[in-house]
Amino acid sequence: MKRMALRLVVPVLLLVGWQLLASGSAQAPRPSTVVEAAIAMLRDGDLLAGLATSLGRVFAGFAIAACVAIPLGIAMGSMPTVERNLDPLVETFRPIAALAILPLVILWLGSGSGAAIAIVAYAAFFPILINTISGVKRIEPSLMRAALTMGLKPLTRMRVVLLPAALPSILVGMRIGLGIAWTAIIAAELAVGAKSGSSGGIGQMMFVFYAYSIDLNGMVVCMIAVGIVAFALDRALRWALAITVPWSRL
Amino acid sequence: MSAVSLTGAKAAGSTRFGGALVYLRTMALFVLAWYVGSLFVPSKLLLPSPLAVAAALRDTALNGELFGNALISLARLLASLLAAAAIAVPLGLLMGRSRLWNDLLELPVEMLRPIAGIAWIPLALYLFGIGHRLPLFIMFYTAFFPLLVGTAAGAAAVDKRLIAAARTMGLSGPTIMRRVIVPAALPAILVSARLAVAASWTAVVAAELVGAPNGLGYAIEYYRSMLSTPTVMAFIVTIGVLGFLTDKGLRQLSKVLTPWAQTGAAR
Amino acid sequence: MSAPKIRLDSVSKSFGGSVVAVDKLSLDIRDGEFLAIVGPSGCGKTTVLNMLAGLEPATSGTMALNGKPIEGPGAERGVMFQDYALFPWRTVRGNVEFGLVYGPAGNGLSPAERTERVERTIEMVGLKGSQDKYPHQLSGGMRQRVALARLMASEPEILLMDEPLAALDAQTRVILQDELLRIWGQDRPASERRTVVFITHAIDEAVFLADRVAVLSSHPGRLKQIVDIDLPRPRGDATRRSGDFARLCQSIWELIREEAYRATMN
Repeated sequence: MKRMALRLVVPVLLLVGWQLLASGSAQAPRPSTVVEAAIAMLRDGDLLAGLATSLGRVFAGFAIAACVAIPLGIAMGSMPTVERNLDPLVETFRPIAALAILPLVILWLGSGSGAAIAIVAYAAFFPILINTISGVKRIEPSLMRAALTMGLKPLTRMRVVLLPAALPSILVGMRIGLGIAWTAIIAAELAVGAKSGSSGGIGQMMFVFYAYSIDLNGMVVCMIAVGIVAFALDRALRWALAITVPWSRL
Repeated sequence: MSAVSLTGAKAAGSTRFGGALVYLRTMALFVLAWYVGSLFVPSKLLLPSPLAVAAALRDTALNGELFGNALISLARLLASLLAAAAIAVPLGLLMGRSRLWNDLLELPVEMLRPIAGIAWIPLALYLFGIGHRLPLFIMFYTAFFPLLVGTAAGAAAVDKRLIAAARTMGLSGPTIMRRVIVPAALPAILVSARLAVAASWTAVVAAELVGAPNGLGYAIEYYRSMLSTPTVMAFIVTIGVLGFLTDKGLRQLSKVLTPWAQTGAAR
Repeated sequence: MSAPKIRLDSVSKSFGGSVVAVDKLSLDIRDGEFLAIVGPSGCGKTTVLNMLAGLEPATSGTMALNGKPIEGPGAERGVMFQDYALFPWRTVRGNVEFGLVYGPAGNGLSPAERTERVERTIEMVGLKGSQDKYPHQLSGGMRQRVALARLMASEPEILLMDEPLAALDAQTRVILQDELLRIWGQDRPASERRTVVFITHAIDEAVFLADRVAVLSSHPGRLKQIVDIDLPRPRGDATRRSGDFARLCQSIWELIREEAYRATMN
């Protein structure tokens, strides 16, 4: 009970401080006005529609990234020649922030969903790839040897030994990738919204609140929604990890 | 990876050379494919040839624009990282070692952390306007949480027996913090610093793209609006190279500061 | 004297061209015998086992099983690894049935026959009731039993065991030595037993278990001597207390003492 109270001290202080700080200006958002705005936005469905648009793009881009990165990661992790020859490309492109290629992507795919999905796919690709490679490479060699001595064929070995052994690491990569993808979609929609008209999604909503309607309460509601979704995505994948790989204690 | 045999010294040199050769071969094939591709794309705007990008790199390097913008972005990275570390590391040590501090801070941290730094950009635009303070704030915020959480986890995971050993030798609390806990948590802190740098390097591009009058992100956006795709690509290359070099530098720093630590698969 | 089950003819193995792990090893392994290979660390015991398993090729010399050269792994040779190599994502049952489900060992078995054999093997090693546990939920001794059950379930002609008891505490070890002999079939006539090649560094373990002990020397690994263990079967605690047992252990110890000291001091 005392601990519970202790844990609430700082959040309460932050809220009170925010309320006091903001009371100087009529425009500045306050906890009370943000709650009002949140209720209004939930009621007219704008917030959920924006989140749905963004999440749809995230899942599309994420699915593309996973479908390419996991097979590629398995190939690179299990075949040294493939890894050695492709690693330079990975090491060259990995440090390029997804947002940096946004202008190019807009040039190629326009400023609609296509560009946003491409950015998400690019952002999620590398964490999934790198964790898949390291998962495959860190498989206990004696497990593969055990499968060999039991006479398993190569494809069976891959399916029943390599894949399950690397699965925890692949799922960790997917969790990290999904988190990065969600950040990337906000940035992409924000930047697209800022520079070239409408694209929809929660990120663009935030920019509209800033630039056109100057509704700071709505903006803060969007920020909180972004945080809640990020938290929920992370928890969902942690849960998926615990369910699908009960033997692993990652 | 770290296994070094006596006979391996010469071999290591030749494999490093071999590695460079493979790197060059792969990248040469990539650039060749890009070049051939650019021949088939009629619009130079959509896919300029690698030669045009090289020329743009040379031009922007010669007129100082490349280094100027790169320096500004790097200075912002350094400043915000140092500021974030100055607050996050001590706070993380407190959270990792004291239940009171952990109880006080855990909830607000877990509430704020999921809100990406990038999501603060509109609010920061309103608060700070376009200028230095916006990217600095966004990068500080982005670097802060990985450092805080990583330091706290590292400090909490320090082997209890090490602390017990220090106690039996009669060391005082502050000495134990300085001589046992900080060194033991240092590898974890450095790993989180690498994550923080990678995250803020992404954030700087976003922040400068939207709300700064200079820097690499700004330059990319500026040349996009000028429809000069080769220059955009030149700046993208610069961002990649600098991102790679900062990570390499931090890895080197980790090796120097914590030669005892296992540099595992964390990348 | 019938033809040997396995014949090694001046088999050598070197790594990286210069380090000779095994040097001109010639050895006949008889059908149904329990052969232990002992030697100080660095004598290439594990390398010999890996070559027999087909996991590593010999640098020179020939290895034959039933007169046919060994050219890779095969399900007729089952291996039990030092670290057990249990699949962490499969339960006890999932590990034991692994070779039958995915390898050729289960060919021709109906699902019912397979299930019956898996359950019987699990019962034989004393793991009944733990079928649905994961390896990380088991003690070291239980994991060792799972590995043994997985080996037995595939019913290989030859059992290759690489220090399978090394990671266990002394009491568990003694118990599992007894169990191993029971499962191997020391109560049955010799013609019904499977051929076992058992690697160990523990001399008493080798003497207690084996029909013959091959003593290797180290750096490079050479066959020093083959010692016949004529202790009567079935063996048990009485065997361990007997004077013959102690004498045999002592004579093998004499063979490798000098090298063991040298290996320890360096």
